[in-house]
Amino acid sequence: MAGEAVTGGALARLWRRVRAAVRSVRVETRFVLALWRVNLLAALEYRTAFISQVVGMMLNNAAFLVFWALFFERFPSVGGWGMPDMLQLFGMTATGFGLGVVLFGNALNLADIIADNGLDAYLALPRPVLLHVLAGKSRLSGWGDIATGVLCFALTADPGAAAWGRYAVAALASMTVFVSFLVVVASLTFWIGGASALSAQAIHAMLAFATYPLTIFDGTAKLMLMTVIPAAFIGAVPAEFVRGYSDRSLLQILAAAGVSLALAVVLFHRGLRHYESGGMAVSAG
Amino acid sequence: MSVGAAVERRVEGSQVRRSAAKYAAVVRTQLAHGLAYPGDLVMRSLTILIFMWVFIHLWRSTYAATGQTSVRGLTLNDTLWYLVLAESITLSKPRVATAIAQAVRDGSVAYQLSKPYSFLGYQAAVTVGDALVRGAVTVLLGGALVAVMVGPPPSMLGWPPAFAAVIAGWLIDFCMATLIGLMAFVVEDVAAFEWIYSKLILVLGGVLLPLDFLPDGFRRVAEALPFAYTTWAPARLFVSPDPALFVRLFGIQLAWLAGLALLVAIVHRQCTARLAVNGG
Amino acid sequence: MPSIVVDNLRKTFAAKRKSAGLTGSLRAMVRPDRTTVEAVQGLSFRMDDGELLGFIGPNGAGKSTTIKILTGILYPTSGTAEVLGFVPWRERRKLAYHIGTVFGQRSQLWPHLPAIDTLALFGKIYELDHRTVRRRITLLSEAFEITHLLETPVRKLSLGQRMRCEVAASLLHQPRLILLDEPSIGLDPVAKQRIRDMIIRMNAEEGVGVLLTSHDAGDIEALCKRVIIVNHGQIVYDDRVSALKRRYLTVKDVGVRFVEPIAGDVDIPGAEVVKVGGGGYGLKLRFDTTVTPAAELLAHIGALGGVEDVTISDPSLEDVIRVIYEQAAAGEAIRPADGSWPSVEPEGSEGAP
Repeated sequence: MAGEAVTGGALARLWRRVRAAVRSVRVETRFVLALWRVNLLAALEYRTAFISQVVGMMLNNAAFLVFWALFFERFPSVGGWGMPDMLQLFGMTATGFGLGVVLFGNALNLADIIADNGLDAYLALPRPVLLHVLAGKSRLSGWGDIATGVLCFALTADPGAAAWGRYAVAALASMTVFVSFLVVVASLTFWIGGASALSAQAIHAMLAFATYPLTIFDGTAKLMLMTVIPAAFIGAVPAEFVRGYSDRSLLQILAAAGVSLALAVVLFHRGLRHYESGGMAVSAG
Repeated sequence: MSVGAAVERRVEGSQVRRSAAKYAAVVRTQLAHGLAYPGDLVMRSLTILIFMWVFIHLWRSTYAATGQTSVRGLTLNDTLWYLVLAESITLSKPRVATAIAQAVRDGSVAYQLSKPYSFLGYQAAVTVGDALVRGAVTVLLGGALVAVMVGPPPSMLGWPPAFAAVIAGWLIDFCMATLIGLMAFVVEDVAAFEWIYSKLILVLGGVLLPLDFLPDGFRRVAEALPFAYTTWAPARLFVSPDPALFVRLFGIQLAWLAGLALLVAIVHRQCTARLAVNGG
Repeated sequence: MPSIVVDNLRKTFAAKRKSAGLTGSLRAMVRPDRTTVEAVQGLSFRMDDGELLGFIGPNGAGKSTTIKILTGILYPTSGTAEVLGFVPWRERRKLAYHIGTVFGQRSQLWPHLPAIDTLALFGKIYELDHRTVRRRITLLSEAFEITHLLETPVRKLSLGQRMRCEVAASLLHQPRLILLDEPSIGLDPVAKQRIRDMIIRMNAEEGVGVLLTSHDAGDIEALCKRVIIVNHGQIVYDDRVSALKRRYLTVKDVGVRFVEPIAGDVDIPGAEVVKVGGGGYGLKLRFDTTVTPAAELLAHIGALGGVEDVTISDPSLEDVIRVIYEQAAAGEAIRPADGSWPSVEPEGSEGAP
């Protein structure tokens, strides 16, 4: 009887913790949805700016696609890749990037925010700091990237609910890897002064690597693009999953998203403790 | 304190020589300014390593796929050194249109107009000085990567003409970007025009792809436009140090430069006649 | 000999107006709805060689626009001006050799370099020879005690230190006239005082004329003998600072301290009670000496109770200027008693920003 009571108590405690966790997820989800709603309303308030940014970004992307079209005109196949593959790769990266900057717009300047003591404002509020900072801003131009991505997908993929479903899953995974990568790089600012220049370079690198065929890179380079700078999981691997379902590629993109997210959350919070304990180097003027 | 006393203190020499000394001093000061934070400078120039690293992989695969050592007269080595130069030219130039538009809008044009020099001459000197510092670091970094991973740079014979062509290219770019910046007198935001211009340079200027690789019709159009002479011409001269080619391309550069400079001078005169710096 | 002669100078800006929303923006692109803003509405004044002239007025009064016209940056809409014998907007570069400028809100020094590098560059720009540059730098840096600041990158200087370097830089080529636009803006009182000392000193030693704009009346009080007050693009006052104070300082502030609290309402004929305080011990009054003789007022105060202390003071220049603005806005023409008013007809303030 006593043993059962103990087990019952433990179960009850576990149940309470699960319920608390579910409740907090619900609360924070509602909070983030509210932030996104405000961001969207703000964007629609300036319609002209919104439209010009979206169209501008689509034209920007078009310039790169023109480059590739010209390239494949002269060199029809590079490492087994042709223009349709390129469209799929570019579209996937654009979608992941676009979602990332629309939903978590501050990811791009998180390093600057940390360096300029911009976190203080968020630390004073009763909401999860990382989530709040990231979703605190939405970049209008991201909608142009999303639109480019959808267009590329619609042009190249065979239509059907299954393909659209795969596209949605892949886009979310791509976005997660992208935002997590930015958070990881920005978190270095907690320990290294002047990491914001590094962060800018890392973003350049990520986008450059994610928009070129994975097949052109050799073994070592490929390994790097799957680990240190996980560009492969932003463009090539999710694009492959969209092309055709396979357990392996699904597992790959989900694992990449999970691992990078966990890494980002852990690193950011360790950095935050370092920051709160006053251990952060004064940023050099 | 008479005007005469002020004149006596002036340096000797013709007006041309004194003007040249003036703008040379601006270039020198801008060089020193650019070198003030060497760490920052190198950090901002690292982008070239990323781009070149990707390009090296891309073009290795591409040349391997064609099975040829030379495409349209360019070897793998030529193409990559072309790209080092083309990327460096593009990555190092300051955002002239934004700077000019900003100066027009916020009135910082005021300081420069109250000094005895030409506003545009000063801006051009600052632009060249700024681009030289960043360009030198960028070429060194990108060149080092290509030298290690692909092969040695093209003959040193091509370096001096290429250097002259790079400066001419930056000045052509300066003229076009200034025309865009001066639009700030008329329109509120020049960002859209600047942006379209940068894309034209990207595709028609041969930044990502040597114009030699373009389909013939497209290439003819590109070569007839000024954009090619900001980037393609100097980078092409760097990998092909051929006197005849230099005379032709540099000649076209100078012609564009003269035409555009004249246009800029006319537009600038028109604009300042109705200058509307924010009053106070 | 006058260094500046300005006659009936006008500057009108065209401003675009846009109604709200997308349709408004589109309409504004096709057919912009323009309004004109008259920043300067017919200024006339002259300034003598070596004079220290203050040019004050609230934000948007047309001070900076005038300075920009006088340096050749802006073309006037109409009117004439001559600065050191040059028409600024036609002979900007010739004029530039003889004037110096400091714009308080904008630096002319290169931020990442020590000020000495900018000074060397200015030497080239003004076409001075090496020796002259070196001699001037030594002279200016010793006079203004900035020798130790010249080797520090400008962006590491405090605002006050930077301003001292800015003023020194504007004097490098020994100009005959310098135009200072808000040189003391954002400075603390100590730094302000140092800048003022610099200006007085260079005016006295090099005879350089100084045209100074400010919205800080303290600058004018400390520096200038003569002041021009502009409001809504028009001159509302042009005379000596001392005359300004004398003419408008007929109003005095009186502070009284009583031995024991005074009771009840205080009513003194010919004076305005500003405040009764300190638990009835204190009293603040304002009165006009031309209406109520001071002796009479003191008698009234004495009648209220035992007086421990009385102070009679002039209002600050700020207060005086505020009165002038209010009168100008009310349409009262303010003319100096000696009839030295320039040929400008104040036209009220419609249409001004």
